[in-house]
Amino acid sequence: MDYLGQQLVNGLTLGGVYALIALGYTLVYGVLQILNFAHGDVYMIGAFLGFFAMTWLGGPLAPTVPVALMLLVMFLVAMMGTGLLGIVIERFAYRPLRNSTRIAPLISALGVSILLQNGALLIFSPSIRSYDTSSYIPSTSGFSIGQVTIDSVRLGVLVLSAVLMVLLTRWVNGTQVGRAMRAIAYDKDAAVMMGIDVDKVIRWTFFVGAALAGAAGVMNGLLLRGVSGTMGLIPGLKGFTAAVIGGIGSVPGAMLGGLLLGVIESLAQGYLSTNFADTITFILLITFMLFKPNGILGRPMMVKV
Amino acid sequence: MASSALALTGLVAIATPAKAVTCTGTIAIMAPLTGGAAFIGKEQAGFAKVAIDAVNAKSGSTFDFKELDTQLDAAVASSLAPSVVSDKKIIGVVGPAGSQEVLAIGGLFGANDIALVSPSATRTNLTAGTYPSFFRPIGNDAVQAPTGARYMVQTLKAREVVVIEEKTAYGTGLANEMMAELKKLGVKATKLVVNEKNADYAAVVTRVPKTADFVYVTFQVAAKSESVAQELIKQKKKAVVFGSDGSDSPTFKTPGTFLTAFAPDVSNLPAAKAAFDAFKVKTGAAAATTFGPPTYVAAQVIAEAAVRVCEAGKTADRASVLAEIKKTNIKKSILGKAIRFTATGDVIGGTFPVFKTQKDGTRKTVG
Repeated sequence: MDYLGQQLVNGLTLGGVYALIALGYTLVYGVLQILNFAHGDVYMIGAFLGFFAMTWLGGPLAPTVPVALMLLVMFLVAMMGTGLLGIVIERFAYRPLRNSTRIAPLISALGVSILLQNGALLIFSPSIRSYDTSSYIPSTSGFSIGQVTIDSVRLGVLVLSAVLMVLLTRWVNGTQVGRAMRAIAYDKDAAVMMGIDVDKVIRWTFFVGAALAGAAGVMNGLLLRGVSGTMGLIPGLKGFTAAVIGGIGSVPGAMLGGLLLGVIESLAQGYLSTNFADTITFILLITFMLFKPNGILGRPMMVKV
Repeated sequence: MASSALALTGLVAIATPAKAVTCTGTIAIMAPLTGGAAFIGKEQAGFAKVAIDAVNAKSGSTFDFKELDTQLDAAVASSLAPSVVSDKKIIGVVGPAGSQEVLAIGGLFGANDIALVSPSATRTNLTAGTYPSFFRPIGNDAVQAPTGARYMVQTLKAREVVVIEEKTAYGTGLANEMMAELKKLGVKATKLVVNEKNADYAAVVTRVPKTADFVYVTFQVAAKSESVAQELIKQKKKAVVFGSDGSDSPTFKTPGTFLTAFAPDVSNLPAAKAAFDAFKVKTGAAAATTFGPPTYVAAQVIAEAAVRVCEAGKTADRASVLAEIKKTNIKKSILGKAIRFTATGDVIGGTFPVFKTQKDGTRKTVG
């Protein structure tokens, strides 16, 4: 039981990170029906921004401010930075192609992904940067429930993921921009006719989705320590998989898909094989695409004929 | 400037040839100059350059030095290999650093008589006869695995060990050697296999039994070893990480962990002092790890072999340099021991010292 409990904790933490990445995919798809394949690299940029913010504040060995403040600044810098990056990506890579064929934004997204990855390698160098988390958050801190241990970093990631998901849900359901976003997702033409500023709402969508990816990037750095220019590919694909599992275009679906994927991955490593986590992830993707393409919480799209 | 000249003077004494010769050619290094293992490659390149400068100064030769970045990636090494083969000025190659790279290019280089003298590729079967132009001045995993296993079992009294095999040419070979050794020593040993792209080891560490004494890791990137070490602490497991030479980096610094490296810490050896001084002056680095000195020796082997060819009145080309490398007999290298090769390219008498990480993150030789 304790073994299962520990794997569930591992999985939920990982799933929280995947959920935040998946939300970015699903928000953009819900509004624009495009897949933003540059999203994994936005997550990578977020991890770097968090690292540089930490370095600016003295680094892991000698922070010049209290650790809690340093962490807050790291998250804010990463989220604001990637949010703005999201807006720039939308403005130059997607908006000009809004009225073109469906494949054009996809190709543009791949181009942006390659640009971001190679840009990061060139500017930041290919060396792996380490958050060196244990230098300022001891690995022994945390608590246990029976034999199940939850260290402080994992606990923080779990709580913060949950808080961000709740805030996003309230934003989507309770704010004017959120309602406008849902209206555009439902019927863009009607939304325009109702006077909704579509460009502004799309900018907000990209900003929020990218900011969540930035937060996920910092979480990854704190949890897994290493940050590099190529770190965005696999988590990006897994975030996409999570969005598909949950139902691409569905915000609750992306959250559920992310958590589910993290748990399945951990349980697969825990009970089947430590070598096949990625294989199982993509088998799941193919399975859902074949048998339940709308995902768990997605709804079939109605098209007027 | 003065310190550089002084260091070079000290190094001239180490390089053995005494007669000035006119000898030219390019000695290349294939190393991870960028990427996750860049600290290894940069150090290796620095020491190789220092060695070539020393031989040039001692013998009057004018060898050039060329750096080739493989990122410790077999595919990248394969893409660079044709350019090395077609550049006839290259008379020998220091490296590559990783066993998987040797597997990728060893055949091509062997067919073209290009000597590969690697200071860090330790997979045992690289010297099984398949790569006739491959040499290494360091021990191989058939030495590393028993050294680590015996130290864990006989010195540290381990009764149960978990081996984490990273699915690479290096990791798989070493893990298999270690499992065989542990079974011979009568210790309970289990193996967990992970993909090279894996980033989160929490689920893997959860599988480590609470009764395990050590987790032997075969990563080539030390950050992964550190990640496992910290995760063991977080999950309150008693097991301690025991790494291989791939973990030898300042990034792997959890106190109480162990590792084997293919060279002792020679920074305090009188024979190595000049090399270290010259390296620090040339690169601005404050210190070096155990990856540097074997690279010095590797470059020295190639350069001195070429000088011997020239001293015999011939032109130093690939085939003649390769033939001469087989006759290498450096009586006292900066590693503190003689360098001679077996018929298949292994150094005679290769060893793997054991280090323990101290509270301040430094390493102390313990075995």
